[in-house]
Amino acid sequence: MQALLSFDQAPPFAAPARFFVTAPLFAMLAGALILSTGPELFVSRWTAAALATTHLLSLGFLSQVMIGAMMQILPVVAGANLSRPLAVARMVHLTLVCGTLLLVLGFLTFNRLAFTSAAWTLGVGLATFVGTAGRALFKVSSNNPTIDGLKLSLLGLIGTVVLGLLLALSLSESWPLPLPQLTALHFGWGVIGWGFSLLLAVALVVVPMFQLTPAYPKWLAQTFCPLSLLLLVLQTIANLAGWSTVADVLASSLALGVALFAMETFRLQRRSARARFDASQQFWRLAMVCMLAACVLWLGLLWLPMLADQPIGPMLCGVLIFVGGFMSVMSGMLYKIVPFLVWLHLQNLCRAGEMAPNMNKVIGAKQIEWQLRVHLGALAFLLAAALSPSWFAYPAGAALLVANGGLLHNMLSALLFYRRHAARLMAAREDGASR
Amino acid sequence: MKNIATLMTADHRSCDNRLAAVEHAVSRKDWSSARAAFADFQAAMLAHFAAEETVLFPQFEQRTGISQGPTQVMRNEHVQMRQLLTAAGSALANNDQDDYSGEVETLLIMMQQHNVKEENVLYPMCDQHLATEIEQLITALLVQLDNPVKVTT
Repeated sequence: MQALLSFDQAPPFAAPARFFVTAPLFAMLAGALILSTGPELFVSRWTAAALATTHLLSLGFLSQVMIGAMMQILPVVAGANLSRPLAVARMVHLTLVCGTLLLVLGFLTFNRLAFTSAAWTLGVGLATFVGTAGRALFKVSSNNPTIDGLKLSLLGLIGTVVLGLLLALSLSESWPLPLPQLTALHFGWGVIGWGFSLLLAVALVVVPMFQLTPAYPKWLAQTFCPLSLLLLVLQTIANLAGWSTVADVLASSLALGVALFAMETFRLQRRSARARFDASQQFWRLAMVCMLAACVLWLGLLWLPMLADQPIGPMLCGVLIFVGGFMSVMSGMLYKIVPFLVWLHLQNLCRAGEMAPNMNKVIGAKQIEWQLRVHLGALAFLLAAALSPSWFAYPAGAALLVANGGLLHNMLSALLFYRRHAARLMAAREDGASR
Repeated sequence: MKNIATLMTADHRSCDNRLAAVEHAVSRKDWSSARAAFADFQAAMLAHFAAEETVLFPQFEQRTGISQGPTQVMRNEHVQMRQLLTAAGSALANNDQDDYSGEVETLLIMMQQHNVKEENVLYPMCDQHLATEIEQLITALLVQLDNPVKVTT
């Protein structure tokens, strides 16, 4: 009831906005790292530069957007208000930025102090986020699959962080832990437990919401999040116990689950009542194509020895999941969330009867469509670079840099638009008050 | 209709479909059909707001004793949506497709996030607190929803 009473308490714009602006900077750094390392980055996913790039994308871009978006949507979707949202956002953002940079430095230099500092910084920041979001969210009694999914995604994040901290501290303290095995688990928890759970929980609301489609079927909405986490826990146990066939069967079921979700999303999109698909919906469609392709490849890597022996398989899978899947869907979401928040916060500054400029004036449709095309180009070059690094590594790095430069430009122009109009509206209010 | 959540959620979807009908007419640049479809959509939206503001919210407020809580937030959002409806209607009257798309996209997200809050939180609370008078309440809501609000321009 307490949550319900105050469920309009969306956080101040500065709370989520800082995450949305810094996310593309990390993807630009990833592009710059590919450019400076060149083709050797794509030789294996275990190279220092490949590990650094993966974390610039997964932690620097994706987790930044996911945490910023979660802080915004918890009050709206679940009626769960974070306590002191701006202070928490500042702290989590600062530690996430510093921790990611330290971790990347650790990978690139194998400096023990960098790994230790990264582990502590990220550990404190992410624990603060999980603690604050968890306290708000677990107070709300679950009455729908989205709220359950949001709760489960926090558990997924805890699993990912614990495994990540173990890995970072193993590298700095030379603990005798099975690093490749722990890395596989860390990847699984990050992609399925944290990423996919949150994507699924949010998709259940936003796909029907933005695209005016029927709701996801009940069997999917109610079972997929808890089932995925259960399979992930079982897969982790099987993996640690050394039951490799059982672990592979469970991993395959997870891949099939993701594929089913992607296909169901396609089916719903085909039944959209909207007259046309805008760029944001195209980002969603691209993400689902990539998720589906990643699942097929994942199954191939699990069951076909001739594919499993090739280093390009995991590399292609990583590009499809992180850039094609998650980055696409998050860019598409940012183009809905950010202009709407700008409008909403400006509208709240308006006097009675006054209207804020509508969403489409915040970021022009042409700017978004251009960025979609460059993002598509970056994805194509990155996939090509995984197949033929010597030809495509440099164009891929440059394209990723340009695509995220475009996203940063669009995010900054939205913020500047907000500042300009907020100043105008505030001045008009003061002027009105002084008369 | 067994409960408030089912009835009012179905009406949300009905408003969504009416909005989509306008969008299809606008994309064909069939301005007269678009204006007629928009009038239909606007009337349905205003009837929904009226049903909540005159029937559902007062009952909820009376029963729970909370008048400055969630229902007040919903009323404030209704004010913002009424403004967006007026702005979208003006754009349509001027055959201005760009302005119409911008206003309606904003309205769509505004109404959808509003609907999520009502469907996930407020309606279940109404069903819980108003269980004893649910039948009369549903009858009264149906009367309001079937009684489109005339828009004067």
